[in-house]
Amino acid sequence: MLNTLLRQRRKIGICVGIALGVILVAALIYPKRSPLVAKGPMNTGHETLGCEQCHIPVNATPAQQVSANIYRLLRLRRNSIGFGSKLVESAECIDCHDRPDDRHPISRFLEPHFAEARRHIKVYECAACHAEHQGKRVTLPSIGYCVHCHQDTELHDDPIFPTHAALVQNEDWNTCLQCHDFHGNHIRDTPIRLQDGISESAIWQYFTGEIDSPYSDEKRHHALESRDYAADTQDDTQDTEGNSQ
Amino acid sequence: MRWALGAAVALALGVAVVIVNAPPPDGDAFSGAAIPIADVFAILEAENDTLRALWTKEIVGKGKERGLAFDKHWREPGVEAGPLPALFLRETAESLRRNPLPLYLFLGSDFPISDANKFTGLQETYFMRIKATGDPQFFIDEDVGMQTAMFSDIAVAEACVTCHNADPDTPKTDWRLGDIMGATTWSYPSAEVSAQEALALVGALRQSARHAYEEYLAKAATFANPPAIGDDWPSYGYALPTADEFMREAELRASPATLHSLLEHKLVND
Repeated sequence: MLNTLLRQRRKIGICVGIALGVILVAALIYPKRSPLVAKGPMNTGHETLGCEQCHIPVNATPAQQVSANIYRLLRLRRNSIGFGSKLVESAECIDCHDRPDDRHPISRFLEPHFAEARRHIKVYECAACHAEHQGKRVTLPSIGYCVHCHQDTELHDDPIFPTHAALVQNEDWNTCLQCHDFHGNHIRDTPIRLQDGISESAIWQYFTGEIDSPYSDEKRHHALESRDYAADTQDDTQDTEGNSQ
Repeated sequence: MRWALGAAVALALGVAVVIVNAPPPDGDAFSGAAIPIADVFAILEAENDTLRALWTKEIVGKGKERGLAFDKHWREPGVEAGPLPALFLRETAESLRRNPLPLYLFLGSDFPISDANKFTGLQETYFMRIKATGDPQFFIDEDVGMQTAMFSDIAVAEACVTCHNADPDTPKTDWRLGDIMGATTWSYPSAEVSAQEALALVGALRQSARHAYEEYLAKAATFANPPAIGDDWPSYGYALPTADEFMREAELRASPATLHSLLEHKLVND
């Protein structure tokens, strides 16, 4: 009697396990699974991207992945390679958003004299301001972040009103973005009177993705719409082959 | 029970053997690491000095005599000019950041034309030592874990002094030839690199300088009266060398010193 009960329970357990496994596998291989497994909604402009545009599959066997990450843990290897997909870092962002004349390229902030700014915001990583899966464009809690680097701003023969020096003195840090586009990618004449600038509320709406750019519709550079990671995986294959020899 | 335990141990051993024997999935940066990064920074600085001298004297200096213009606003639409020497370095540095190797180059000063390039904190401290001794300085920028080197940037040409003294935004108007006007700062995460990695870093710098020069050629091609781009240099006329020719000359000048450094330190014998 007891054995029969145990056998029945085992059967039920096996069936439930198989059903859960099937559901899990189906969820992972279902083509439109992104919203099901993503941490949150894609940021503004990224809505049409598939997972693998940023989460690039690791071109290595599971054993290689385990091995590489153990070596990394033991500090015998410089880079972790992630499991399943590569770690998403700023390099993946720059693959689509690279601009030769970016006014604030992230690598600039690796210079030692930006140490103080780095303490406040990790400004050398794209995700410090553009954390993904938030459904927004810019994810900083404030629009006055210029304070971290531009406290000494003073222009000779300053043409604007109020002057930059006066704005700094009054700690009006929310005004910077009303005239200046942080990355400088929008084609627009910088106003010389603050009253001709963009309102704070419009900047917030732009940050949260509620409106298109208030700076200009015209851009100097357009981001790639689709990231071709084939080149990356090809490089990895060559590396792997090279190291295997 | 014993059978199950034996199978589990065998399986675990099998997995361990497979993992241990798995080839690395990409380049193992620590393989053969033996060269102190300070030595590599010195090689890179010498390479960069050669590139800047070539740009400053053969392109900017001779180019001005032939009617070519160079301006700090050279990237602006409608400005028919090329980058001034400091901006050529900036272009090279910008291109370098796009290279997969995490090598970074910056140029700064205690009296820069742009406030964004003014040294503060650690850089200011070490720059004061450079000004006092003239010697390069090496340190670790702890919060980002970067090995860092600073080398003096000396006013080697009259144009450096006159341009900086005359700029409307300059905070200092009495620069003289031979002054330490600023410093280049190099950073890289590894304290030691392999010979292969050292050569890759030199290659990355050269590739970046080529890209910076190509950007200038692309701009020059848009001038109302574009210079001839070919084998000739500005010393021969209103002309610019191709990127291949520019880099061939740069490599010709830089390679002996680089090779000498590699051999002198036995860097290629590891």
